[in-house]
Amino acid sequence: MSFNVIGKSVIRVDGLAKVTGKAVYPQDIYMDGMLYGKTLRSTVPHAYFTLDTSKAEKIEGVVRIFTAKDVPGHNAHGVLFKDHEVFCAQKVRRIGDPLAFVVATSEKIAQKAVEAIEVKYEELPAVFDPVEAMKDEIKVHDGTSNIIYHYKLRKGNIEEGFAKSHVVVENVYKTSMVDHAFLQPEAGIAYVEEDGTIVVCAATQYPHFDQLEIAEAMGVPAEKVKVINPAVGGAFGGREDITLQIHLAIAAVATGGPVKAVYSREESFVAHSKRHPEIIKIKTGADKEGKLLALEAEIIADTGAYASWAINVTRKSGIHVTGPYVIPNVKVDAYAVYTNNPFCGAMRGFGATQVPIATEQQMDMLAEKLGISPVEIRLKNAFTKGSETANGQILTESVPLITCIKKVADALEMA
Amino acid sequence: MKKRGKGIACIFYGTGYGNGFPDVSRAYAELQPDGKVAIYTGATEVGQGAKTALSQIPAEVLGLTVDDIIFINEDTSITPDAGTAAATRQTYNTGNAIKMAAEELKKELINIAVKELGLNSDAGLEMKDGKIYLKILPDKCITLAQIAAKQSEPLRTFATFTAQTVQIDPETGQGAPYWPYTFSACAVEVEVDTETGQVEIIKAAHAQDVGRAINPKMIEGQMEGGFAMAMGYVLYEDLGLENGRIWNNKLSTYIIPTAMDMPEIQNIIVEDPESTAPYGAKGIGEPVMIPVGPAILNAIYDAVGVRMTEIPVTPMKLLQAIREKEKQGA
Amino acid sequence: MKKISLTVNGKLYQVEVEEDMRLLDLLRDKLGFTGVKEGCSEGECGACSVIMDGKLVTSCLIMAFQAEGKEIITIEGLQKEDGTLHPIQQAFLEEGAVQCGFCTPAMVLAAKALLDKNPHPTDEEIKEGISGNLCRCTGYAKIVSSVKKAAEYLNKGGK
Repeated sequence: MSFNVIGKSVIRVDGLAKVTGKAVYPQDIYMDGMLYGKTLRSTVPHAYFTLDTSKAEKIEGVVRIFTAKDVPGHNAHGVLFKDHEVFCAQKVRRIGDPLAFVVATSEKIAQKAVEAIEVKYEELPAVFDPVEAMKDEIKVHDGTSNIIYHYKLRKGNIEEGFAKSHVVVENVYKTSMVDHAFLQPEAGIAYVEEDGTIVVCAATQYPHFDQLEIAEAMGVPAEKVKVINPAVGGAFGGREDITLQIHLAIAAVATGGPVKAVYSREESFVAHSKRHPEIIKIKTGADKEGKLLALEAEIIADTGAYASWAINVTRKSGIHVTGPYVIPNVKVDAYAVYTNNPFCGAMRGFGATQVPIATEQQMDMLAEKLGISPVEIRLKNAFTKGSETANGQILTESVPLITCIKKVADALEMA
Repeated sequence: MKKRGKGIACIFYGTGYGNGFPDVSRAYAELQPDGKVAIYTGATEVGQGAKTALSQIPAEVLGLTVDDIIFINEDTSITPDAGTAAATRQTYNTGNAIKMAAEELKKELINIAVKELGLNSDAGLEMKDGKIYLKILPDKCITLAQIAAKQSEPLRTFATFTAQTVQIDPETGQGAPYWPYTFSACAVEVEVDTETGQVEIIKAAHAQDVGRAINPKMIEGQMEGGFAMAMGYVLYEDLGLENGRIWNNKLSTYIIPTAMDMPEIQNIIVEDPESTAPYGAKGIGEPVMIPVGPAILNAIYDAVGVRMTEIPVTPMKLLQAIREKEKQGA
Repeated sequence: MKKISLTVNGKLYQVEVEEDMRLLDLLRDKLGFTGVKEGCSEGECGACSVIMDGKLVTSCLIMAFQAEGKEIITIEGLQKEDGTLHPIQQAFLEEGAVQCGFCTPAMVLAAKALLDKNPHPTDEEIKEGISGNLCRCTGYAKIVSSVKKAAEYLNKGGK
């Protein structure tokens, strides 16, 4: 097949605006008479709290201070469970939970007012270790187990698989919580159009979902909310969850004026999700020739104080922990667990990035025990067209894994 | 002492929402008065190149250039929902929806051309460079702008694409949780300084299955960016998390790779078209990152003989592991 | 308040600035040069870099009043009035050095500051020249190759 446009490295269509500095990111929008918003966030991981905004309200230039009672619709959002509060009402579950949003005539005044709000905490015991959290002795969300998801995979007979194995390797791996560190910190501006439509401009990965979440929190039909998604300065999964969109919408409706907010880098770090750290306990067995016979894994993913995409991320870990290999006997248990840590959600690879840290080192260890090369053990077990995954899915086409392995091995002269 | 070692890793990656959840993309294609075509869709450009790759697809269908495609994706009030710019799903999912909408528009344009040109059939009609003409008699020709001028309302088509996955059984995990899968492999050579614990990547090769490459340079850009992000993940990035508090909340303490850290990477694009994908193209945004980390860890073992089961492998941790191993050996 | 005068992209400005105003805020909020980006506020990411009297500086670490009498170049000053791009901008487009674009304006300026001083840089010198500018998308490879290409264009007397 020959193509005219497909397969050509055409210059990116948004490139010209970006190399000339004309691309508009949300922080680059300035409107007449706009007000500035700043968020007050919790400084302790688990506590009941009360706020006294009276001193802050008296500061000249402060227009209004919004808290949980000012949320017109549902005080909740979240991509799977609605477990985030727009503003915490009584309790904080992590450091960085939003408590109030100050709107003022300047950024400086808003900041001053945030610092003038008095917060009294009644601290609660907190849990930071997901293994501890699984005991449910300290609950992060009242009335719910900390274990929010259990992925189970059962294929073949795991005992038999290991009994037949000539070599078995067993280890525990730990991956870390990391940040997307996209270059553009969160920013946005909101205003109300003449017909009452609430307009929120913010950098997001999914404008139509933000529209629904804003509408639910504002208690208005979705058609009354418009999300404008200008240039986005990187995302990598970190712009899946709501950060400032609803705060801005509430403030714009209540004050009537355009309201803008720009997060500092420090605030960006606490405002958006992180990559789930995982504890991966894994046992892998192979026969004399290096053919995989059995794999058993237990994965514990710490989702912090909120679920975000935890269920999907953990499922993805469970599915991908086999590696791209044909294995007849597999048992996997993967758990997503609440703690009082920063919340974790989507990040590039989404659960499938964590598990190869374990699986792929296991492969090398098996190869070493068998006296074969890392390349050879991979080629022996790699998925090809027609292979069946541990989930029972048939890979019917477009499975060029062996080509990928051979090409990189050749390039680095690995046999 | 400086010691070198090589490592390899390979992965598979299921794209899309997965697990039977309706994974839907929608798009409009609309003929403009000047003969250009506007695409309306909710798919976000986050830097990955969605706007460009998803303009190349309708340009190919309609015999146009990317300059003739006006891509509108910034406003929820005028674009249809095309799902999230995540899960490596936009090229495949929204790419399919846009391709279908463009094909539908092409059909309508050809039908109009048959009538306007007074032909008996659409056989042998070609659509190229903003014109529809009869190959055997090129004077029988009408431009897209001429067609647009004859419409009382803009000619507009709509298409929806929903990916195929099957929910897994909650007890056994059996099902078809993702489709399509993308594959990749990475090999690296590292140099470990046994005095400082520093790891330098000397050389790397990175192969990514793409189904079909829509824009090779943009694919390479994803591969290089994914490589850097994986280096950060396994070697540098540490939030300094302590009792729920992030101590490293600045870019001066949360260390991500700079230009100085990057090795030369040989990018290898592997094509093996997928029949359900637009022109065979699968998504690659996430998988490009994944094999790099474990390849580095395997290379570290090859170099100094220590297995690093916890990331990030900071110089201090690696040094400790090397010392530990020396003690055991002594 | 303090009255200062400075030149930005060849044009003289006389402005009143607050004592605690950063050059970054002056350029963005007061003068409208929004191609200058803020990514970290501590001089670490380089997104706010501008060229001041021929040197690349992070405008978040410079107070506005310190720009008195200085000549500043921002990304807005690179494209010619007829729309012709600067060879560095052209090379960035052709080589695919742009992804999300947030680091791009400052990265182009870092390249300019480097090439103004060193018209024939090696790969290592290019990497060093842009090492104060973080990019999370590209892995830098295409940025390095575009700076190389831009050097060729410039050495041929512009493109």
